[in-house]
Amino acid sequence: MSEQSTLGQFDSQTSLIPAGTGAEGTLVLTITMSVAATLIFLAVMAAVWLAWRRERPGHIWWLWAGGFILPVIALVALMVGSTFTLASIARVDRDALVIEVTGHQYWWDVVYDPDGRALRDANEIIVPVDTPVTFRLKSEDVIHSFWVPSISGKIDMIPGRVNELTVEASRKGRFRGQCAEFCGLSHPLMAFEVVVLEKDEFDSFTAGLSDEARDADTLQLKQGRDVFLNEGCTACHAIRGVAEGARVGPDLTRVGARAALGAGMWRMNVGNLAGWIADVQDMKPGANMPSYNHLSGPDLRAVAHYLSSLK
Amino acid sequence: MSPARIIRIALTSVLTAAVLGVVTLWALAAPAFDPVGAALAWSKQRGEALVGWYASDPVAATPQWQSMHMRVAGGDPARGRQLINEYGCGACHVVPGVPGARGTVGPSLTSLADRAYIAGVLTNAPGDLTRWLINPPYFSQDTAMPDLGVTEADAKDMVAYLYTLGGFE
Repeated sequence: MSEQSTLGQFDSQTSLIPAGTGAEGTLVLTITMSVAATLIFLAVMAAVWLAWRRERPGHIWWLWAGGFILPVIALVALMVGSTFTLASIARVDRDALVIEVTGHQYWWDVVYDPDGRALRDANEIIVPVDTPVTFRLKSEDVIHSFWVPSISGKIDMIPGRVNELTVEASRKGRFRGQCAEFCGLSHPLMAFEVVVLEKDEFDSFTAGLSDEARDADTLQLKQGRDVFLNEGCTACHAIRGVAEGARVGPDLTRVGARAALGAGMWRMNVGNLAGWIADVQDMKPGANMPSYNHLSGPDLRAVAHYLSSLK
Repeated sequence: MSPARIIRIALTSVLTAAVLGVVTLWALAAPAFDPVGAALAWSKQRGEALVGWYASDPVAATPQWQSMHMRVAGGDPARGRQLINEYGCGACHVVPGVPGARGTVGPSLTSLADRAYIAGVLTNAPGDLTRWLINPPYFSQDTAMPDLGVTEADAKDMVAYLYTLGGFE
């Protein structure tokens, strides 16, 4: 995984430069529809031009050809094309690798292999290249929508329901996803990143996901871990090997290894982490986490360094 | 009119005419020793020098010692602005010109160049601000500002940008 996040990179979040089978189908359909619509428009304009000239054909078959047969053929062709494209995008592959993503206000809970090892992570989704992956999409609170424009179409995450979407990334890279259904005050700040890796890199990533968090090995990191344990962070956040079980907020076991902080919104570094902890409500209004502005300066620095060290 | 007054006017006139005559004769004779011409040439040269000095806008040429001492040798403000974004300074500070930098955890860096002290412990000078950015807790052990692993080159560029905010220019 590269260190640099996709923040501010235009080509990481566009369906015009596809990186997955769903986005490729959508792009082909868009181009086909646009070309067909342009041709029909030009044909209609030509007919209007003919009508303005006074040499009107005296045959009624023009009306039938232009007013009935041509639209029927064109619409049926476009409907068949779009139906097949949409059907192929919406197809759910039951044998594919499953990744469960649950939308929360305003972050994403990610569980790899939910029926087996159930490896938990958050806000960054790693998928193997050229391999079908079925996303099992849920919501914990309100309606969210899961959309990675470069890779596939979007699908809503409805509370109480499970929606599924099979995608297949066609090239390696780092792509941005965004919540596409208004879900509250910080809806625009609810993004994530999808990292497409080779199959063997993906396997070694998931193998490492069950490990416990890196140990605090300096005085400052130990102080940071103690602040994390004593200040109540563990009520919402889990760090494997340090504090287990809490699922109200994102799992922080490998928080420092993610490229972005706050659900894909800020670069992951000590500075942003410290600012985030001290004033979440300013950076992400309406988030469930309170601003920890009662920490002393050294405690704030220590916990920021500690979280940054978790890789 | 008394005879004494007539005599005084006559004598004065004769003397003045005599002096003028001598000076005229000297000037017409163009002697090597010419104090009048030298005096005229000197005053002309000095006058032109004075006019030229005013014309050269001497106020602008005066060194601005206050802003010059805040100049950062080798600092690139444009790169510094980019780095301020990448290091995440905006999570805690308002930094004019940096996108999204509107944090309220620490002080706003608007008009930073006008401040007298940094964090209340260092003077506001390029060297001190550079060292502060590299390792804040070294200078103020209770500060909430973490050491971000900033390199010296990066710190200089960021200081160069911060000193474009406000100041004497």
